[in-house]
Amino acid sequence: MAKLRFYCIFLLYILIKCESASVDTISSDIRFKNVDRTIDISTQLVRITSKLTLENTGSTPVKNFLIAVESSAKNNAAFAGAKDSNNKDLRVVETTVKGYEYAKFWRVDLKEAVNPGATPQITVTLVLTKALLPYPTAITQQEDQLVKYIGNLYIYSPYYITSQKTNVILSSKSVESFTKVKPFTQQDGGIQYGPYPNVKPFSEKELAIHYKNNSPFLTVTRIERLIEVSHWGNIAVEEVIEIEHTGAKLKGPFSRYDYQQDHHSGPASVRSYKTLLPASASDVYYRDTNGNISTSNMKVKKDSVELDLRPRYPLFGGWRTHYTLGYNVPSYEYLYQSGNDYLLKMRVIDHIYDDMQVDEVVTKIILPEGSTSVKVNLPYPVTRLPDSLHYTYLDTKGRPVISFTKKNIVENHIEDFQLRYTFPRLLMLQEPLLVVGFLYALFLCVIIYVRLDFSIHKAEHPHKD
Amino acid sequence: MTVEVQAKTRLPQLSSDKQLTFIKLAVLSMAAILSFGTRLFSVLRFESVIHEFDPYFNYRTTRYLTEEGFYNFHNWFDDRAWYPLGRIIGGTIYPGLMVTSATLYNVMQFLNITIDIRNVCVFLAPFFSSLTTIVTYLLTKELKDEGAGLVAAAMIAIVPGYISRSVAGSYDNEGIAIFCMLLTYYFWIKAVNTGTILWATMTALAYFYMVSSWGGYVFLINLIPLHVLALMLLGRFSARVYVAYSTLYCVGTILSMQISFVGFQPVQSSEHMLALGTFGLCQLYAFTQYLREHLSPANFELLFKALLTTLLATLGTALVALTLTGKISPWTGRFYSLLDPSYAKNHIPIIASVSEHQPTSWSSFYFDLQVLVFLFPAGLYFCFSKLTDANIFIILYGVLSIYFAGVMVRLMLVLAPVMCIVSGVAASSLLSLHVKDIEPKVEKHEKKKKHENNLVFRSEVGFLFVTVLGCLLVSYVFHCTWVTSEAYSSPSIVLSARAHDGARIIFDDFREAYTWLKMNTPEDSKVMSWWDYGYQITAMANRTVIVDNNTWNNTHISRVGQAMASTEDKAYEIMRELDVDYVLVIFGGLVGYSSDDINKFLWMVRIGGSTERGRHIREADYYTGAGEFRVDADGSSTLLNCLMYKMSYYKFGLVYTEGGRPPGFDRVRGAEIGNKDFNLDVLEEAYTTEHWLVRIYKVKPLPNRGV
Repeated sequence: MAKLRFYCIFLLYILIKCESASVDTISSDIRFKNVDRTIDISTQLVRITSKLTLENTGSTPVKNFLIAVESSAKNNAAFAGAKDSNNKDLRVVETTVKGYEYAKFWRVDLKEAVNPGATPQITVTLVLTKALLPYPTAITQQEDQLVKYIGNLYIYSPYYITSQKTNVILSSKSVESFTKVKPFTQQDGGIQYGPYPNVKPFSEKELAIHYKNNSPFLTVTRIERLIEVSHWGNIAVEEVIEIEHTGAKLKGPFSRYDYQQDHHSGPASVRSYKTLLPASASDVYYRDTNGNISTSNMKVKKDSVELDLRPRYPLFGGWRTHYTLGYNVPSYEYLYQSGNDYLLKMRVIDHIYDDMQVDEVVTKIILPEGSTSVKVNLPYPVTRLPDSLHYTYLDTKGRPVISFTKKNIVENHIEDFQLRYTFPRLLMLQEPLLVVGFLYALFLCVIIYVRLDFSIHKAEHPHKD
Repeated sequence: MTVEVQAKTRLPQLSSDKQLTFIKLAVLSMAAILSFGTRLFSVLRFESVIHEFDPYFNYRTTRYLTEEGFYNFHNWFDDRAWYPLGRIIGGTIYPGLMVTSATLYNVMQFLNITIDIRNVCVFLAPFFSSLTTIVTYLLTKELKDEGAGLVAAAMIAIVPGYISRSVAGSYDNEGIAIFCMLLTYYFWIKAVNTGTILWATMTALAYFYMVSSWGGYVFLINLIPLHVLALMLLGRFSARVYVAYSTLYCVGTILSMQISFVGFQPVQSSEHMLALGTFGLCQLYAFTQYLREHLSPANFELLFKALLTTLLATLGTALVALTLTGKISPWTGRFYSLLDPSYAKNHIPIIASVSEHQPTSWSSFYFDLQVLVFLFPAGLYFCFSKLTDANIFIILYGVLSIYFAGVMVRLMLVLAPVMCIVSGVAASSLLSLHVKDIEPKVEKHEKKKKHENNLVFRSEVGFLFVTVLGCLLVSYVFHCTWVTSEAYSSPSIVLSARAHDGARIIFDDFREAYTWLKMNTPEDSKVMSWWDYGYQITAMANRTVIVDNNTWNNTHISRVGQAMASTEDKAYEIMRELDVDYVLVIFGGLVGYSSDDINKFLWMVRIGGSTERGRHIREADYYTGAGEFRVDADGSSTLLNCLMYKMSYYKFGLVYTEGGRPPGFDRVRGAEIGNKDFNLDVLEEAYTTEHWLVRIYKVKPLPNRGV
């Protein structure tokens, strides 16, 4: 019986799964006439920008095409985006292809169908995190950080590619070793491969580059972003951030003397980084569990507030830190209202440092007490966490908290979400009335207590005036 | 009369009685607010942060209490301290402070006031000093009158001797204990004056709160019996005192034994014997009174003598027997040092090494009390001039606490309230005496006859006197504010200094180091440091320490002292024995922070050498031939090669600290260090903070065989 039930559930599960996840097929009509690929590995991220020239060799118009990532980089892919020749964003949806479960696919929906024979240009961007591995994995304080990039010499694509070129951008001139497949050229801070003609779909050949990369290897292992909306004109944002230096680990001692004497000491360490806050941010605080972190500077610029955050100690490989950053922004910039309906438009995640990589973000939005019928509209899929209630000053039934989480985030994910909710404006009066009522009751009690005699028997010496 | 009339025209709707109430309320609430406000210097200058050392332990335990609940807290075995021994927290602390803040915190959470526990802890002491102000008013009102109460309340609001222990962030037992103490006194005076069981029970409850929050309750439980004894000797013993004391002793003792740290001490230790003896005496005295009423004088005489002899004999034998069998604990060292200031210095280095256990210098009396020092004798005079049961109490309290405050700096705290009360009495009496005189013309009409008998310049003298006293009080206010702002408001966890151009430099090295430890060392690492920093390391870095500020195990501390005072290879053995992973030292030589480990080093040597295993460590070895403690080239070679020296000065010999000085110039000792070029064999530098204030070393594992 139990077995039968299990099968039933399993079947149901598969059915649901098939329905929910989209399945695409590879169209044999599409070919890439020319691909110009740039692999930027000068930072801790791998940014792959491919300029595709699409070609429809079939007879029917093509509405979409697929982009793919090989199985080795499947878990590193954080972001995939596409733009057409007018630099307009195209819709990119994650998908699967039967028979190619080991790879990861996205479907790019084109604005206009590609007619047979047409050759539109599309730019596809892929961002991989943690694809650069420090090698050696541990270095001393004075040593430079060497990392290894292992990728695919050819563009991993479900379509036939007539001609392709790859340009690798490095962070420095010093390259220990790299894959040499002719034709290739090595220049200052870069290696060019190709053109390679006529590559079959899903071709793979290892591209390994071992080079010096001292750019900051910082990973935000977890960020909790708390947005507290107040209808009295303020939105408070607080971010609890855990950061780890995920580059080559520090081997041996840390010498403060060398670090202070020589500014080239600790080339792979991170002394500080810049965080950009919204231009209207005010009352910024930067602290951790032990109190205020006094080492930071704030510059107010035209379009942002630039925070120069210096952790309590420089971050070497394997070192971690953790802090809380908070600020206020005026609500008129982010909160729109029409009658009792409100629309909050804020970022899912904000800038922490340039070329950031975030393992996990949890965004929580605390709405005013009494908000109902909440609808969230997110720019990309996230995992919605169960709603909860938050109690703070003068709350009676609690404020609704909307929260969602997403893993593997990069700068390209800095986008607005939209949250609609209803809030009866009369409820604004609740909190002041609560205070007034409390004080009224208090004074009333005092008056009653002073005016009336509650003693059981009369005092022997009655109070004289 | 005109004054009243004028007042009436100004405030027509209030009767004079109500005006009085209004003024009283206004003065009292202003004093209470002031006492809160004046303690906030450090919060405004730095931030809302816990200060110093012990408060960090209290903060940590409070956090534990709020997170884990009371029973887990009560049964808490702390494995983060005194590795490998651990510490039973529940049974070795006075939980009053933690329970108070946890209760406040929970109540506020219940009311949806989301203040975090750190802020509750930071502002607890100022909050309680506001309450102290009010209790002082009530107490002084019982002793003298409302006027004196208001003056005393205003004085205690800003007295530096009390502020020193109750600024915001100074989250320590004393912060609430002074409130408890004065509350107990207030209830006691009430109980003695009324003789009701209600007030006596209230006294017992307040006493229980006091016991639960501070070890200084011993002072209280000796003072009250002394008061009773004094009353007996002065022939003022009455049924009121009998009821008050008997109730207090019975209920109070039973309640105090509920605190597991106190346990059976109230009936066993010698510090509590006075209370027990007085209780017995009270019963005997009352019994004698009873017999005297029912027997003829001759019979009574006979019975009295017989009973007295038997009783004394029995008591004497019992006392000797119990002391010999160890049932009555011997007098503890801290108590001996109360009676004989030189006791600790000669016998227990660990007690003597704490600066707050040193005898008080005369200047610090003036520094902490200022004008109160002069008003106090005057107040005593006024107390004597109208002797009541309550006044005898305050006289006793004043005289005793002056003695104790002279013995130990720390007990200035106990003296400050009584100074305020007695000075309040003095100031109020003096003022009310002379303000009458300067009352202009109006009084002349009424009391012409009286004035004719007196001096001509009475009004002028009165005016002069009031002016002088007014000036004194104003100077008191300025002095107190200055002392609070300059001396007692630095958090000591964050240091600040002025740069040449006047800009403020913040040295945040302690938190830098502790955060580094917390984030970048394995969770179970053991950190060795001198005991001063134990509480901070467990609280801020959440790492296991070998010794901490709860100096309960002398041999363990001595072992750490031995490690610090030994050469590297000897120290390595000790560190392996204690399973140490990291060693932390405080070094002020670069920025000129004088209370660093090198300056404390002689205490480590003394304490290290005070036990059997440390016999080989002799203080004399660390001095030069001329008997000086020097870190430069003339210093003794034992010092220049010991672990503490090497850890403090590792690579320091390369640093230029001051212009025109050679590298390796120590700015605290004012000398170029003697041993510059050395390497560490068994340790490696793990982290040094920005200003070199804290240096953390990692103990290397044993070398691999054959390498």
